[in-house]
Amino acid sequence: MTDYISAYSKSGHLFIPRMFQGFPEIKEALISNKMQAAFMVAPMAIALRAQGVPIKIVYLGHRYGSAVVVQKNGPVKTFADLKGKIIAIPSRYSDERLIVFKALAEHGMSARDLRMVEMAPPDVAGALAAGAIDAFSMGEPYPSQAEMSGFGRILFHARQYWPDYISCVLVVREDVIQKKPQAVQVLVDGIARSGLWLEDPPRKRIHREHAADFVGRFYFRQDPRLLRWALTNPLDRVQYQPLTPARKDFELIVKLMRETGVLDRDIAFEEYVDIRFAEGAKAQTEWRYEPGDAAAQ
Amino acid sequence: MAPQRKIVLGVAAWIVVITAAHMATNVDWKVLLNDRLPESERKLNVAYIPVT
Repeated sequence: MTDYISAYSKSGHLFIPRMFQGFPEIKEALISNKMQAAFMVAPMAIALRAQGVPIKIVYLGHRYGSAVVVQKNGPVKTFADLKGKIIAIPSRYSDERLIVFKALAEHGMSARDLRMVEMAPPDVAGALAAGAIDAFSMGEPYPSQAEMSGFGRILFHARQYWPDYISCVLVVREDVIQKKPQAVQVLVDGIARSGLWLEDPPRKRIHREHAADFVGRFYFRQDPRLLRWALTNPLDRVQYQPLTPARKDFELIVKLMRETGVLDRDIAFEEYVDIRFAEGAKAQTEWRYEPGDAAAQ
Repeated sequence: MAPQRKIVLGVAAWIVVITAAHMATNVDWKVLLNDRLPESERKLNVAYIPVT
């Protein structure tokens, strides 16, 4: 979104966006310096940093926007019905996995009560429709895809069990942070401005519908109607403010990662987050851009 | 024009058209040009997956 709007501004494109189909490929591209920055799930960023990969989280991508989805007319009516069933998650290093553990704990169940399988996000809706899995825990627009297509039903949204839920974060290679802090700040500023633009109270729906259109067509290669559903049904289904990494949110993720066996040591917030760019972006204002405008400011 | 010459010209034109179409649709020129710039001028490559 930031790339699209910034192209209409005097500064032009602020960065080069590159689409991937899965998080493992992003991880490899970051390690090999093919990518200097990436959006990825928070636990994966923390795990990579704990393993010595020189990256830091500098900002959030969004808040909420993940859900557990089951077959619409299937046997699963409540979370307890998932006992013995197969649920797909995007990665063992994902918040979508952690939210399942949170729900399991709430219902007095354990990980042994269901079978979690890792699956690339674009594959889950088809797998649910075909009956290959009984449920999936995934970020938007895949819950919307299952709902819109008529074969899926939201069992619960992440916020039901995790009020300050976060999923995708922006990570940047440390050498880039050291050598080109200005470029990182420009990137974070642009994302902050996009977040404010999407949350602008009087124009929220119009901005989100427009974003769904151009992001679907030019970036996600998905039906814009799908993204419109995800961004507006309801309007707070995915939120783009506040995006500053909060210590308590990440400490909870680290705690859950430790408890669920995907992080083998404690890691301090400062070790994997560089907060200065988010602080630097706090004075930013939303993009001055409306659908059909020839220029953005 | 000799039939052989016609065939050669036709094949050459076909190759040019297909190559141009391929380069227009499958090559990301923005990425290619950015990667050729000196490091100090290069924009950041930012990876994402089609998930919100």
